Amino acid sequence: MENNNLKSNIGANNIIFSVSEFITLLNIGLNKSQVKMIGEVSEAKVNSSGHVYFVLKDKKDGSVMNCAIWKHRYAIYGIKLKEGMEIIVFGRPNIHKTYGFSFIAETVELAGEGALKKEYERLKKKLTEEGLFAEERKRLIPKYCRKVGLITSKQGAVLGDFLSNLGKYGFQIKMIDSRVEGQEAVTELLRSIKTFKNQDIDVLAIIRGGGSAESLEVFNNELLVREVASFPVPVIAGIGHDKDEPLVALAADASESTPTAIANLLNESWQEAFLRLERYERGILGYFEGIFEKYRSAESSLMISFGNFKNALLNVKIDLRNSVNKSFSGFKTLLFRVAEQLEYAEKNVNSHNPERQLALGYSITRFNGRIIRTVKNTRIGDNIDIQVFDGKINSEVKSLNKNI
Amino acid sequence: MAKEKLDTKNLNDSLKRLAEITEWFDNQEEIDIEEGLKKVKTAVELIKASKERLKTIENEFEEIKKGVEEEDGNEVAPKNIPY
Repeated sequence: MENNNLKSNIGANNIIFSVSEFITLLNIGLNKSQVKMIGEVSEAKVNSSGHVYFVLKDKKDGSVMNCAIWKHRYAIYGIKLKEGMEIIVFGRPNIHKTYGFSFIAETVELAGEGALKKEYERLKKKLTEEGLFAEERKRLIPKYCRKVGLITSKQGAVLGDFLSNLGKYGFQIKMIDSRVEGQEAVTELLRSIKTFKNQDIDVLAIIRGGGSAESLEVFNNELLVREVASFPVPVIAGIGHDKDEPLVALAADASESTPTAIANLLNESWQEAFLRLERYERGILGYFEGIFEKYRSAESSLMISFGNFKNALLNVKIDLRNSVNKSFSGFKTLLFRVAEQLEYAEKNVNSHNPERQLALGYSITRFNGRIIRTVKNTRIGDNIDIQVFDGKINSEVKSLNKNI
Repeated sequence: MAKEKLDTKNLNDSLKRLAEITEWFDNQEEIDIEEGLKKVKTAVELIKASKERLKTIENEFEEIKKGVEEEDGNEVAPKNIPY
């Protein structure tokens, strides 16, 4: 309300501001002057509440500016301000109603490659001694993980690269969009990590897109390194590096240079599992194939046995028929022989039938019932009976002529 | 001369007797006409009866044979076992 009044009165010469009102007015303007500023630290002191007050001096002409950085911001960057240190601060100017003008720094970083390098080496040495980078501390990326926490910037190709290379294994990605470059990113990264601490995830991936080597500085932040090292689940760093490996990458459980490589790392166990499954599947199918094969061969040998049995039956049948035929034909022969015998007997009997002789014209002559075979059997005057085919002739012997 | 009762039922016996008769004839040097005639009469009777018996047996046999062959003909063809 008050500010609106002030704004509407700017430029009005006849308006008289109170000191407080004017300071408020100035601060509205100053607030817009968010800048990065480089200078050399002179006079740095920490007050009783932990806030740090220092003076930044321009190396060229000795211009000076009072600066302050609040306790919680100061703690983030892990830099102990000392006289003569060249630093870059990011922040905005402000006029305090009691203490006057000062530049309120939100971030602070060392300036100059040499200083950065020195600080990097110091911190690396310190954390190495603490064992933060030790191989034995590193946790394996869990196999078959699905719930992936992802911290990266929505801008740039990182996210697309990462997602398009993840296999279709049912990954559940939770993402927090965070700046990943510049000292300003430290706060966001720390906040994102803190958020993920309370999330149900299997693994955390922190991925930075391409950028200048200088922008890697943020990943040498001590607090950030410690958060990564103590994160409850394994952390994969996808930060990349120029000459020196960023300390966050050293502290992470795994470090890959590209989003694609991280995706592949997460795919790995799934791919292996699928390969194994395929192998098992082939094994099982092969096993069943074998059973079927056995069954088929058993079946075919059964069919052969059936065939053999059938043949045996046929043989038995043929044998039976043969023996039936044999006995039939034997019997027939027997019958034939009987018929022959009968015929023979008939002929024989016929040929011996005395009546047949009579029919042919022969006759039988008897005297006193006895057959006359020779002339000696009778005398002239004897009454003899001559039997012919159809009766008897009584006759008297008139002469006897013996064959000479 | 009591007429011998002729048993013509048994073909085997008849054949035996016929054989005896033919043998008798074959071995007779002096034919006893009366005895010969008697034997011829017996033989004729035997032959007639035997022929009838033979015919009956033959018919029976053909019947049996036909039965066996029909049985063969009615046989069921083996089936293919599906698989």
